Amino acid sequence: MRYTEFTPFDIVLLAQGLGVSVGLFLATTVIGLLIGTLWAVVRFYRVPVLMQVITFVAELLKNSPVLVQLFLVFFGFPAFFHINLGPVEAAVITLSGNTAAFVYVIAVSSIESIGRDQIEAARAFGLTKWQVLRHIIAPQAMAFAIGPLTGLLVNQLQVTSLISVIGVMDLTKIGNILNLRTLKPFIVWAVVGVLYYLAAKIIAYAGATLERRLRAHTAWKGL
Amino acid sequence: MIKAQSVRKVFGSVTVLDSVDLTVAPGEVVSILGSSGSGKSTLIRCINGLERLDGGSITVDDFDVSKPKELAEARKRSGTVFQMFNLYPHMTALQNVTLAPVEVLKRPKAEAEAEGRALLASVGLGDRADAFPSQLSGGQRQRVGICRALAMKPRYLLLDEVTSALDPEMTADVLDILAKLAKEGTTMVFVTHEIEFARTISSRVVFLEKGRLVVDLPTEQFFAADGGLANPRIAQFLSKMRKD
Repeated sequence: MRYTEFTPFDIVLLAQGLGVSVGLFLATTVIGLLIGTLWAVVRFYRVPVLMQVITFVAELLKNSPVLVQLFLVFFGFPAFFHINLGPVEAAVITLSGNTAAFVYVIAVSSIESIGRDQIEAARAFGLTKWQVLRHIIAPQAMAFAIGPLTGLLVNQLQVTSLISVIGVMDLTKIGNILNLRTLKPFIVWAVVGVLYYLAAKIIAYAGATLERRLRAHTAWKGL
Repeated sequence: MIKAQSVRKVFGSVTVLDSVDLTVAPGEVVSILGSSGSGKSTLIRCINGLERLDGGSITVDDFDVSKPKELAEARKRSGTVFQMFNLYPHMTALQNVTLAPVEVLKRPKAEAEAEGRALLASVGLGDRADAFPSQLSGGQRQRVGICRALAMKPRYLLLDEVTSALDPEMTADVLDILAKLAKEGTTMVFVTHEIEFARTISSRVVFLEKGRLVVDLPTEQFFAADGGLANPRIAQFLSKMRKD
C-alpha cells in the first residue's frame, strides 16, 4: 500500500531540498571565487612552479566531468587518504574546486583584458604591482568578468543537481523521492524545474544589477 | 640631473638605441627630435623604467633606474605624459590626478584632492573634475594627463609626443600649457614633431637617428645654418617636417 497523493508536507520537503541546493551553491561559489581569484593573482605575479601547478590542476578540473570528479572525491578520499567524507563534504570539495577552475580562467582573461597603456602609466608614476592590481586592474577586471561569471554561476547551480547521486538531500534528490512515491513525474519534475529556473533567474538578475553598477564609468552621461 | 650613459636597447634583432648619452640638468627644456622609429619614445621609456636597458646606465638624481629599489625613487622624481594619454578609464579626471600622490607619495586624500582641483582649474578643466575620460575630448584628456604628471610635483617632466593624437586646435591648447610650464622653469624632456614649438621653448635640441644621438646642441645653434642644419640629414628632416 503506497500513498500516492501530494501532501502539504511535500512543500516543506521541496523547500528543504531547495535550501540544501542553494546553500551548497552559495558556499561553493564563495570558496570557488576565493580560490580561483587567488590562483589568478599567483599567475599575475608569475610565481614560478606554483603557477604551473595551478594551470595543471585547473586544466584537470575543467576538462573532466563533474560527476567523475565527485566519485573520485567521494570514494577516493576514504580509499587513498583514509579521510572519511560525508556526501555533503564531498560535494563541497568537488563543486568548489570545479567553480574555482572556471573562475580562474575568467579572472585571468579579465586581468589580461585591461589595456597595457594604463598599467604602464600607473607603473611610471611609481605605483607598485599590488597597487596597480588593486586600483587599476581589479575594478575594471571585475566589470569585465561579471558577465561570464554570471553565466558560470547559473550553470554551476544546475551542476549542483549531480550531487544527488551520492545521497545529498538536495532539490533533485527530493524530486526523485517525491517522484518515486507519487509516480507523477511530469508534475514533480516540472515543479523542481521551475524552482531551479527561479533560483537561476535571481542569480542572473543580481549579476546584471552588479554589472550595471560596475560599468557606470562607460555609460554615456552626456556633456 | 638625468644622466644617460651609453644606453643600449634592443628589440629582437633591432637595435633601437645605440650608445646614447644624454644629460638633462634642472631647469633645462630638452627637445628630442628625429623621424619615426629613431628611438625617441624608447629613450623616454628607458628613463621612466618602462623598458629595461640592454646596456649602459640611466640615473635620475643619482638613482639608478635599473635597480628596482632606486627606480621607485627615480619614478617619484619624474612625471610622464603619454602620447595616447593612458588615463585610467574607470576613474574621474580628479581621481586620475590624485591616485599617485595618495598611493605613492602618501599624501592625505583631502589635500591631494584640493591640489588636484586647483591643477585641473589651471588648465581650464575646473568644471570637468568629476567627468570620466570617456566624457572628455582628446585635448581635455591630454590636459588631465599633464595634471596627473604635475600632481606628483616632479622635478622632471617627460613628454612623449603629447600632441601627436590631437587635432591642431587641441594641440595649441596643450602647447600653451607646456609653454607656460617651461616659462615657470619646469625641467622637461620633450619628444615631439612640433618643430616650431620645440624651437621656441627648448633650451637644447638633440637629434636621434636610427637609435644614435647624432646632434646635441643649444636650440639657437641647432637651427643655425652652420650648426645643426649643416648636417644634411637634419636639414632634410626639418624641411620635410615643415612641409607637413
